[in-house]
Amino acid sequence: MTGAAWPLLVHLAVAIGLAAGMMAVSHLLGERHRERATGEPYESGIVGTGELRGRLSINFYVVGLLFVIFDLEAAFLFAWAIVAVEAGWAGYAGMLVFLVLLGVGLVYEWRQGALDWGRTRRAIERALAARESSRRPVTLAGVPFERGTPVGTKGRR
Amino acid sequence: MLDLLWLVPVLPLAGFLALTFAGRRLAKPAVTAIGVGSVGLSSLVAGAVAAAFLGHMPPGGVHRQILWRWFDVAGLRPEISLHLDALSLVMILVVTGVGFLIHLYSAQFMEEDADFARFFASMNLFVAMMLVLVLAGDLLLLYLGWEGVGLCSFLLIGFWYGEPANVLAARKAFVVTRVGDVAMAIGLFILVDRLGTLDLQAVVARAEAQWAPGSAAVVAVAALLLGGAVGKSAQLPLQTWLPDAMAGPTPVSALIHAATMVTAGVYLVARTGGLFELAPSIRTAVAVIGTATLLLAAGAALVQRDIKRILAYSTISQLGYMFLGLGVGSASAAIFHLVTHAFFKALLFLGAGAVIYACHHEHDIFRLGGLRRSLPTVTWTFVAGAAALAGFPLVTAGFYSKDLVLWRAFAGGHFLLWGAGLLGAFVTALYSFRLVFVVFWGETGTEAGARPGWRMTVPLTILAALSLVGGWLGLPAVLEPVLGAAEEMAEPHGTELLLQVLAGVVSLGGIALAWALYGRPGRHGDPVADALGPVGRWWRAGWGFDALYDRLFVRPYDAVARALEKDPVDRLPAAAAGLARGFHRALALTQNGRLRWYALSLAAGATFALYLVLTL
Amino acid sequence: MSGETPMVLLPLGITAASALAVMLAAAVRGPTPRAATGRAAEALSVLGLAAALGSQLAVAGAAPRRVTPLFVFDGVSSILGAVVLASALAVVLLASAYLRRLDEPWEEIYALLLLGTAGALALTSSDHLVGLVLGLETLSVSLYGLVASVRTRGDEALEAAMKYLVLAGAASAFLLFGVALLYASVGTLELPALTAELSAGTPAGSELVTVAGLAFVLVGIGFKLALVPFHLWTPDVYQGAPAPITAFVATVSKGGVVAFLLRLVAAAGAVARPEDGEGLFVVLALLAGASILVGNLLALLQRDVKRLLAYSSIAHLGYLLVALLAGGELGPRAAVFYLIAYAVTILLAFGVVTILSRAEQEAGDLDAYRGLFWRRPILASAMAAAVFSLAGIPLTAGFVAKLYLLLAALDGSRFGLVGILVVGSVLGLYYYLRVVVAMLATPEPETAASEPVGASGGVALAGLGAVLIWIGVAPSAWLRILGIWLGG
Repeated sequence: MTGAAWPLLVHLAVAIGLAAGMMAVSHLLGERHRERATGEPYESGIVGTGELRGRLSINFYVVGLLFVIFDLEAAFLFAWAIVAVEAGWAGYAGMLVFLVLLGVGLVYEWRQGALDWGRTRRAIERALAARESSRRPVTLAGVPFERGTPVGTKGRR
Repeated sequence: MLDLLWLVPVLPLAGFLALTFAGRRLAKPAVTAIGVGSVGLSSLVAGAVAAAFLGHMPPGGVHRQILWRWFDVAGLRPEISLHLDALSLVMILVVTGVGFLIHLYSAQFMEEDADFARFFASMNLFVAMMLVLVLAGDLLLLYLGWEGVGLCSFLLIGFWYGEPANVLAARKAFVVTRVGDVAMAIGLFILVDRLGTLDLQAVVARAEAQWAPGSAAVVAVAALLLGGAVGKSAQLPLQTWLPDAMAGPTPVSALIHAATMVTAGVYLVARTGGLFELAPSIRTAVAVIGTATLLLAAGAALVQRDIKRILAYSTISQLGYMFLGLGVGSASAAIFHLVTHAFFKALLFLGAGAVIYACHHEHDIFRLGGLRRSLPTVTWTFVAGAAALAGFPLVTAGFYSKDLVLWRAFAGGHFLLWGAGLLGAFVTALYSFRLVFVVFWGETGTEAGARPGWRMTVPLTILAALSLVGGWLGLPAVLEPVLGAAEEMAEPHGTELLLQVLAGVVSLGGIALAWALYGRPGRHGDPVADALGPVGRWWRAGWGFDALYDRLFVRPYDAVARALEKDPVDRLPAAAAGLARGFHRALALTQNGRLRWYALSLAAGATFALYLVLTL
Repeated sequence: MSGETPMVLLPLGITAASALAVMLAAAVRGPTPRAATGRAAEALSVLGLAAALGSQLAVAGAAPRRVTPLFVFDGVSSILGAVVLASALAVVLLASAYLRRLDEPWEEIYALLLLGTAGALALTSSDHLVGLVLGLETLSVSLYGLVASVRTRGDEALEAAMKYLVLAGAASAFLLFGVALLYASVGTLELPALTAELSAGTPAGSELVTVAGLAFVLVGIGFKLALVPFHLWTPDVYQGAPAPITAFVATVSKGGVVAFLLRLVAAAGAVARPEDGEGLFVVLALLAGASILVGNLLALLQRDVKRLLAYSSIAHLGYLLVALLAGGELGPRAAVFYLIAYAVTILLAFGVVTILSRAEQEAGDLDAYRGLFWRRPILASAMAAAVFSLAGIPLTAGFVAKLYLLLAALDGSRFGLVGILVVGSVLGLYYYLRVVVAMLATPEPETAASEPVGASGGVALAGLGAVLIWIGVAPSAWLRILGIWLGG
């Protein structure tokens, strides 16, 4: 395989050199200017409103996830239904296990209140009680109401 | 019963562990119970083992107990085993028996000490280590015990560490014995390298099969082992640590620096006797070293003023007799003397301890005096011990054992050594009764304060009895199967009897001279030391060895150390450490916590791996 | 399928069923914390894992058996399955006190732990690239959740989980790509068939693709095992994750992957042609050497105990790889033995960390251990034993394992790696002993509240400590069992 070594090495060198060279050249030759709109995100000429990192209610995600799961379940069921007879009791048992698993998941979600849209009265009461009892930020389904600090920039050795 | 052998060292070890971990929280009676009880139980087990062993002698006279095989991988098979024969049996009986008595005595002697638990913990550890030393089935385990007792000796000499002098003495003992230990370790390395084993029986057997008598390797090994023995047993030229070791509490001196640890060297030479047999020149060296030491130390003991230093020099001198016995090829005589010495020297130290205890820590014998009236029990037991040390004819153990050593020297044709030993015996009788007469007779010096209680007098009485009757134990007969029978008697029985009478006369002469010089009322000062003048001062300073070593080794070493203060040699390791630190700093930069950087490294690593597999 | 087949699947089945049962307990609980269901979840996990371990040991040592094309149950899966289950059991026992101190529901943590264990268990017996991916993903997805599972840990845990999610996702992508390449060139996903195809000689032109596929699979595995240069996530995740979860990451998740690596190296070793087999071994050797050096160097001046143990685990996996590379009869045995010793040791270490930790303030900094010997001698002794074992000091499991490993490496003439291993061990001594020094230092005036050990934590610590000393003092029995199970 030593025959393949040289072309690869050359390829590697050319690839790195090309990328580095392009960046270097544009750094040296490129125009630089700082106007009011330079730093703003480009939205096809439309002035952006608000921040990109706006938060959506967790319920969107939960419902989205549930939809995907049960959609998949349906897809599986269709596939099984076509061969139900050929698959026999073993296939039936397998499908049953799958359904039970999903059922348990659904029961769990339900009991957690993941299917309640918005804050229920009980949730609000709990949140208020929590705010009074401790200085910790109030949360619902795990998400703090206050804006958290961005993640992933802490340099630690 | 023999299967219980492992309990003998384990019991004191358990005592040590209990006292170390719980000692501070226990009340003194509990500490006493653990500290004394563990050694007492151990001595009972040792007694039972002895009864079983002597009742049903195992085949070959050796009982081996494999305690533990660590692992067995690819031919590597380290294991720990105990080796019990007549020699180790005698040793464990002495160590546990005398050890128990001294522990009992310490219970009272150390009662007022704040560090009561620490004291007993160290003592128990010492006993455990000493038992490991004498029971070890191979030289490696023996070395563990050897270093263990050295450590305990260090800890106990410096027990009262508030006083810098004590710490210095502990350090001196540790460093000086270390010189010998290094020699011994090298000897062991050679054994492993050449013979491939450290097992006690295999070493001697293979050495005999592999090495011609007097060949360089066996001479080197024997000389190196002798180096270790000389250090541990305070023989010339490494004897200087023992007098200073008296800085420790008196029971420590009795147990470690008289009865047991210092005799480890004798034990080692006796145990590896087969190697010394192959190296006759080294065996002669053993005898010569022993004789020189016994004379020098006896001379030094003659002019000391500190009661414990007298006994320390006397110990060195008596160890010299044991070496003499080993050197003339009679290990059984040496071990016999070891045993009787353990009895009477422990007794003398404990008696001295009782005097010191009673007389407000007064060590100078010329400030003491007339204690016969206030401390009768101590006096009579001390006299019994001194008589045994002096070799008082017929009724003391010391007479028989010392005489046996001298007789074997004579019978082996070593007339010069025999003559020197006889001279030493005379001086011994003189200095031991000088001590007795000055301290217990004459005018009353320091008043005796505290009276020793039963915990002190009972050990004294038992040891006194043993010092008197221990000579009739018939130990040599028991030991000879292990250590080899004495060489053919060159002289008829009549000569032996004649020499015995001569030894008795010499001993009595020494005692009489002591009475003439020190016993009669109206003595002024120290007649012997006065007569010797500057020579006496030289002897009192231990023949100037400390000063000599100070000039020869300590100061040059200091100078070298000072020259190297800036550690030029350390640069290299320091550079390695600096390099490692530099690499650490550089690598730490990669741990910057940034996800994109981490992902980049993942991709780069994958690329690199791909590149490697494709090109190689 | 023969009648006995379900028996070998029993451990996996029990573990998965327990996960389901714990989920139901969480469902019963509802949104607010409830002590009863929490205790029930704990008990279910302990019982489930104990039963799984029991059944694992019961079926261990039987003749190798293939169940579906995906799984094979043989000596390797017997031992490493037992290691995985025992480690998981220890983690669950150790976590008990820590989790009970939380003021938030904790049943889900047990469910995820059990699921992850099931994934790792599947990995130990998977003999098929699809089995590998299945097991690995079940394990990984559980871990994402686990790392972030304790909300009171705050941003730190979220950050760790985020990093882990993204990087593990990338690594999985590499792995899957590698699997695809292998399939493209050889046309099978079963390891035995793959080996057979490879040793029969691949069709000309597809060698490159095959070797590249193997390399990419190796990248995925290297990431899981945190081998340099795929290690950067390790300290951040170890530090951010709750202490018991860190213990799980360090042991259970490694156990399964090591099993697969054992099979992979055996398969690659069968491709004995130096021109393409050797490249892979060079890569593995470089990974091992780099892991040992970089792991130890990074740990050198580390002040955070969790990060220190993270770097140490990088180095230890490097050691393990050395044994794997040694090959021969001793190599795999030494590697498995090393994994056992390492798991016991690191669990003991993290066990102590867990017991000393509260979710909101974990015992990370070395200062938290200052004077531990005087405050809590037994815990400190356990930590010291673990640290000594990591350093490879005699009479501990670590020493015997390292000795065995060295013998294997010398046997396999891997002298360069042995040299690196020795250098690494010397570096290791420095930072391991620093932990002991800190524990022996004069205690600070009582700063941290002293947390109770708890009954189950005490049992786990005592058991781990006993095994650690047992292996160190009398390893013969262990080596014998290893010989019997791996011998066939």
